[in-house]
Amino acid sequence: MLLYWLRSGHKIKTIDMGDGWWGPGERPLKGKEDASIRPFKIETSDKEIEDLHQRLDRFRFTPHVEGAAFHYGFNSTYLRKVVAYWRNQFDWRKQVEVLNKYPHFHTTIEGIDIHFIHVKPSYVPHGRAVRPLLLVHGWPGSFYEFYKIIPLLTEPAKHGLNEGDVVFEVICPSIPGYGFSEAPHQKEFDSIATARIFHKLMNRLGFREYYIQGGDWGSRITTNMAQMLPQSVKGLHLNLVFIARQSLGRLICIMLGAYVPWLVGFTREDVRRFYPYMQKNVYDLLRESGYMHIQATKPDTAGCGLNDSPVGLAAYILEKFSTWTDKSFLRQDDGGLESKYSLDELLTNVMIYWVTSSIVPSMRYYKENFSKDPDLSAHNRVGVYVPTGIAAFPQEIAHVPRVWAKDVYKNIITYSYMPRGGHFAAFEEPKLLAQDIMQFVQKVEQL
Amino acid sequence: MLLSKGIYSGIMLLEVLLVLGTLLIYFLFSKKKEETLPFKDGWWGRGQKPLTKEDSSIRPFKVETTEEELSDLFRRLDQARFTEPLENSCFHYGTNSVHLRKIVSYWKNQFNWKKQVEILNKYPQFKTKIQGLDIHFVHVKPPRLPEGRAAKPLLMVHGWPGSFYEFYKIIPLLTDPASHGLGDEHIFEVICPSIPGYGFSEAPHKKDFNSVSAASVFYELMLRLGFNEFYIQGGDWGWLICTNLAQIAPNHVKGLHLNMVSVSKLGLTHLLSVLLGQYFPGLFGFQDEDVRRMFPFLKKGLYRILSESGYAHIQATKPDTAGCGLNDSPVGLAAYILEKFSSWTDIEFQNLEDGGLERKFSLDDLLTNIMIYWVSGCIVSSMRFYKENLQKGIGTQKHEKLTVQVPTGIASFPNEILHIPQAWAKKKYTNIVSFHFMPRGGHFAAFEEPELLAKDILQFVDKVEKEQLWKKKGE
Repeated sequence: MLLYWLRSGHKIKTIDMGDGWWGPGERPLKGKEDASIRPFKIETSDKEIEDLHQRLDRFRFTPHVEGAAFHYGFNSTYLRKVVAYWRNQFDWRKQVEVLNKYPHFHTTIEGIDIHFIHVKPSYVPHGRAVRPLLLVHGWPGSFYEFYKIIPLLTEPAKHGLNEGDVVFEVICPSIPGYGFSEAPHQKEFDSIATARIFHKLMNRLGFREYYIQGGDWGSRITTNMAQMLPQSVKGLHLNLVFIARQSLGRLICIMLGAYVPWLVGFTREDVRRFYPYMQKNVYDLLRESGYMHIQATKPDTAGCGLNDSPVGLAAYILEKFSTWTDKSFLRQDDGGLESKYSLDELLTNVMIYWVTSSIVPSMRYYKENFSKDPDLSAHNRVGVYVPTGIAAFPQEIAHVPRVWAKDVYKNIITYSYMPRGGHFAAFEEPKLLAQDIMQFVQKVEQL
Repeated sequence: MLLSKGIYSGIMLLEVLLVLGTLLIYFLFSKKKEETLPFKDGWWGRGQKPLTKEDSSIRPFKVETTEEELSDLFRRLDQARFTEPLENSCFHYGTNSVHLRKIVSYWKNQFNWKKQVEILNKYPQFKTKIQGLDIHFVHVKPPRLPEGRAAKPLLMVHGWPGSFYEFYKIIPLLTDPASHGLGDEHIFEVICPSIPGYGFSEAPHKKDFNSVSAASVFYELMLRLGFNEFYIQGGDWGWLICTNLAQIAPNHVKGLHLNMVSVSKLGLTHLLSVLLGQYFPGLFGFQDEDVRRMFPFLKKGLYRILSESGYAHIQATKPDTAGCGLNDSPVGLAAYILEKFSSWTDIEFQNLEDGGLERKFSLDDLLTNIMIYWVSGCIVSSMRFYKENLQKGIGTQKHEKLTVQVPTGIASFPNEILHIPQAWAKKKYTNIVSFHFMPRGGHFAAFEEPELLAKDILQFVDKVEKEQLWKKKGE
């Protein structure tokens, strides 16, 4: 009896690495996989641009109800303005040059081509260490979200950031099925498979130990990476924490936390961000999770029209860049989009989904992850023991107090309440995020 | 000693009476109210309501098409961008794009929209302005009426992603039953409107157009057509709109027939019956067929709701986003709508590479329904109906707390998404006259099994008429 109890209470220390094959058909029995790393440049053509313009020109618009703002989704009056800009001012060729300013590569892992950018500091001051840092994006983002933060991490001094002696070389892959990474041809490609592939990628690049950072799916993938091969992860930094919510203890915490926060380990800022509970955690989440529900159940249906209508794709994606940046943007007729981002940046991200036709595979990721594990909690039973840093942004969709994050992340080195910013931290507040990453890494280096 | 004992028992008795009294009062007040639902007036047109009286003429309407419309459609079909499905995924991830390609090929090369438009126009259609919106409806009178007989008016309301077209096969069975071997006791004249925001009915320009608004509009329609007493039938949104109509105007609705029922007030009894109903069906009023259809509950109830309601969740929260691309990509629109015609006809069709689509429907029928959404550009407004009805949550609205006293007939189809047993339905529908387990068929009953549905409607109406049940309702 005692032995049974001991064994059932014993937590598994790591997730199994496992293996996988995601290419078409059967895995080849013979021959080693081509491990070459091939430079890659994004290209476009007149045909591609012409096709896009034709589709923009023949977009069929539906008037919204009076007073809709962004409460019914993307406001179609504002959408018309975005489309006009896209058609007449947005310069995709110029944006492709912008995208190509960092070196891109492809390498084949587990049967599929993995895309990544790899940026090394152009100049390393004497005596400074260069640490490898893997940044993982989410949905509906891409590697492009990191373009503003990369220079702050590879050349901090140049940008007035002097957090210690660390300088980074940054690797930003595209999750398979997103952007320029090939989409898996087999079912069940989840975050564990992604974590394993990214470990293999870092390995192939010659790294044994590295820092990893992520938000959205990136948070889950990097967490899995830390759970899978803790010895390779020097530090894990997150700007979003996924936590399973149910349990009686949690419920009591929630109920008491509003009145005696100190008793349950909530700080004043936790209380400010967390309550009113029903509104912020239940209603708001229900209101914002329709996309998740349909993508986790019928991704091929949900994405079909979006891969055929660039305007539909833009509305679907940009709605998130509005609401997940600041919930109050729902009340604005233009969704507050241009108050934090430029149309060029927003449309470049949308174009990555468009030119690669990756919207459907990107949605399938939800089904593959949620089908086996509806509340993404199984891996929460495996603790995360690597040094962890959490940047909690105030407009993130849901707030997770440190005291709850500790349930999974056993070794939290830093937990920062960021002064401003939402879900797309690297895109919206690159300097704040960079500073937090650097002060976290500095602490880890001193351990 | 005796006196104190007497006082003691007196106090006990008082306590018991107090408890009983409280319970009695509780039950009296907790019983679902039998009041009527108020008629919901409104103005749904653009801008301010004009001071002049609304034009209440009924204008004939014909569906039309143009070469331009067709060539635009073909260009979009030609340039459709598909994504390869995962290996062996059938319809588990949604509409399979390999099969979708075949359908698109048929759509381009064989489907004849001009011919289908003629079919649509075979029944007389009209438009009339109600509460600021142009309401489209089909109105079919019986081709022949025996001497001295009157046709019974029957309002039939469609749902999402259907349309008035779903009723085209059942209409002749109801207006001319004799020619279809269904006897001639009850002959109907059928009115099939399009819900505002669907098909050829104008979409509301203001917020808050919900099922009670639709029921009020349809009530005005029936009155305008000169009907004082009528039958109503519906499934999907039609179920809710007809239910609301029966609650608004119980003295005008002779009978309510439904091919779908849903319950929104779930209580302890429901929970208990879900947990124990398999083992003690009799205790919860379940029949064998109920048990067969509902259990195992996790699979047939909870998981089914979760796996099939993603569309409802996004449409109830972000309809303008969800529908945007679909109004621009006919292939995307088709994929979205066809997926429902597959799983809601038979959930097992998800295991088939072709989604079982052509087992019960012809491609011409399926595409005609889709074309109605395409040519009218109504997908976004059709989705808004979900938000207007569900945004405040399920079970929170006034009409959900009221019962229905109008004689009700329920045809329960085996492949409907969720099975609701009579034991649960009768808490809301207090006057169920007939409840039948249909032998086959799914969600789109009129489209898929018109004869079965027609027969059930006829036997229901027969009961109501023979026993003059509509006169027995309480005030």
